[in-house]
Amino acid sequence: MGAKSFLVVDDSATFRQLLCMSLTRLDGVADSDITEAVDGEDALGKLKDGKFDLVLTDIRMPNMDGLEFVRRVRNDLNRKDIPIIIISTKGADEDIQLGMSLGASGYLSKPISMVKLRELVTGYLAG
Amino acid sequence: MAEKPEEILKLFSKSEELLDMFRKGKAFTEELMYENERLRYRIVQLEKEKIDLSDTLMREIERFRLENSQLSGKVEFLDSRFQEIEAENKDFALRYVEVEEQNESLANLYVASYRLHSTLDPVEVVQCINEILMNMIGSEEFGLFVVDEETNELVLAGYEGEIAQRLERGRVSFGEGLEGMVAQTGEPFFTEDAGDRGEVCAAIPLKIKERVVGVIAIYRLLGHKMGLSGLDHKLLELLAGHAATALVSSKLYAAADRKLKTIEGFMSLLRVK
Repeated sequence: MGAKSFLVVDDSATFRQLLCMSLTRLDGVADSDITEAVDGEDALGKLKDGKFDLVLTDIRMPNMDGLEFVRRVRNDLNRKDIPIIIISTKGADEDIQLGMSLGASGYLSKPISMVKLRELVTGYLAG
Repeated sequence: MAEKPEEILKLFSKSEELLDMFRKGKAFTEELMYENERLRYRIVQLEKEKIDLSDTLMREIERFRLENSQLSGKVEFLDSRFQEIEAENKDFALRYVEVEEQNESLANLYVASYRLHSTLDPVEVVQCINEILMNMIGSEEFGLFVVDEETNELVLAGYEGEIAQRLERGRVSFGEGLEGMVAQTGEPFFTEDAGDRGEVCAAIPLKIKERVVGVIAIYRLLGHKMGLSGLDHKLLELLAGHAATALVSSKLYAAADRKLKTIEGFMSLLRVK
């Protein structure tokens, strides 16, 4: 698949580091270029400036939460091509439905299984 | 009795015809006998060929039987090898899953440990413990208590959920409640279920050797999490040791830094005078 670039959005530095570790050892991805953002606002700025193959975002964040971030990416930036996976402690069915209805491509509940995350990410990257 | 010459000629002609017919009969009989001879010879030949063929056929059958039994042996061998390899494959697949799980555990433990010791700011250490409890263990309601050695009480240093409202003073005495008991005995406490509201589902003492410096109490897990997994127990074990040292060293560093700054301020004041 060659080199891929990711945007990881989470206010928890611990969780961001864990996600980055997982994304650096994806099957078939030669090189992973990972950009970190601490909230939705920060992520929107980075998304405008850069080109990403996939975005992973939390929901509960200061300034701009993950749901608002997804909505803005899909509607304001009109970026419907980029897969966005929500990773959140909110794991109820209605939370998942809300996230997906706003335009998220996938949803994982924290704490996540790294195997599942890698499978999901690899699936989206493959097409 | 004298016959007429015409009649004699007629008789003679008839006898000639008869003789000719006999000659033809003789030739035909000879031909038949020759054909008979040829056919008998052919029969002998065919019988001989039949015997030869039968022998060849028997030999071939025997050879095929031998080959068949050899091939059956090979098939049995290959079948047993296939079973063995399939079992090995299953074993490898299981081991792969185990290795992946161990990798995941190690990654979690590495990140947790790395983050805990990446700062000397007590606030950041508390925040890091909160993040581990929320994002990596999946706790919805928890409290992080540190020991106040002057009053011998547990002070709530970090939390998520309604624990702060339940604890009026934000403090728990040693021996009081499950958190206090865990602090007093130094023994962790676990329940199998996820814990209803207000029910403690896990309480872990934060220890440096035998000295308890704090307690982590998990009151409720996230709704979609059914209980604590093996990895959660490992993370809690890690927290029990590493969070304790991270908390104490950051507090000591902060205190030393404060003292150093006071002394430096005092020294600069003396220099001015």
